[in-house]
Amino acid sequence: MKRALVAALLIVAAIPLLSIVAELPPHAAPDSPAYTHVSAHYLEHGAEEAGAENIVTDVILNYRGFDTNGEVTVIFTALAAVLAILLLPSEERVEERPAPAMPVSMVVRFVVRLLAPFIALFAVYVIMNGHVTPGGGFQGGTILGALVIALTIVLGEDEAHRLLPRPARPWLQAAAPLTFVVIGIAGIAVVGSYLGFPAEEPWQWVRTAWLVILEIGIGVGGGAIIGTLFWTMEAER
Amino acid sequence: MSQLFDITLIALLIACAVAVIRTKDLLAAAIIFSAYSLVMCLIWQHRGAPDVAMTEAAVGAGVTTVLFIVTIARTVRRER
Repeated sequence: MKRALVAALLIVAAIPLLSIVAELPPHAAPDSPAYTHVSAHYLEHGAEEAGAENIVTDVILNYRGFDTNGEVTVIFTALAAVLAILLLPSEERVEERPAPAMPVSMVVRFVVRLLAPFIALFAVYVIMNGHVTPGGGFQGGTILGALVIALTIVLGEDEAHRLLPRPARPWLQAAAPLTFVVIGIAGIAVVGSYLGFPAEEPWQWVRTAWLVILEIGIGVGGGAIIGTLFWTMEAER
Repeated sequence: MSQLFDITLIALLIACAVAVIRTKDLLAAAIIFSAYSLVMCLIWQHRGAPDVAMTEAAVGAGVTTVLFIVTIARTVRRER
């Protein structure tokens, strides 16, 4: 009974999805919009219409800002799901063998300590400069997350955890969707549409500022999520 | 020349993909997968997508490898 119900629900969900897929232009069709006018329009007018010299940033934050809004929400939801599974009460799990102590070699310790400030600077550069050069919040956030992982391996968990105070963590993990909601509502207030960007003459700096704020939100959120994932998976219980 | 470079990279990519599937040692598979990501990163860059190349290098070659290794350290190393 339950199985039949699930199967019926899946079929009901599959029919509209498949009919939409059937509507799509065939793979690599030369007359599909992507090859006729959409790409050309983005490349030609992207910088003036959307406010960033890097066309990729124009597309992901402005033209398709809704997509990215959903995307960061999905990433945050995925973290919530992983935490919900990994943080189950420990008596429900099988007996765990103690994790082998991992001695960190002097070379690794020295290199990470030496490189950490430069990695941090590079991450900030990639995030803040994402509207001009390749990069942006997602890339810079991952670099931040990798830095958190490297520091955790070298400093040990206790000291690394102190770098990020516990009460601030949920806000940092949710930074990306929160930033999108704030900028989206600012768009309603100023332009009249969710995630709308002001494009008129004297207000173009606002548009660029909003793009940078979105990049910072995505970067902080991404870094916090990757760091938390590593901490949770590696934590001894 | 550029085409030769492309063909070499794609050959390497396919070799990595086959090796990942064939090896029974999960730690080796994680490292080969990281090499796969590195080759993929070069391909993205060569095809003119530096944004994706950066993501591939940071996520594919860096973070996921670490997460795989942590998972292997907490479970078993050999595939059964």
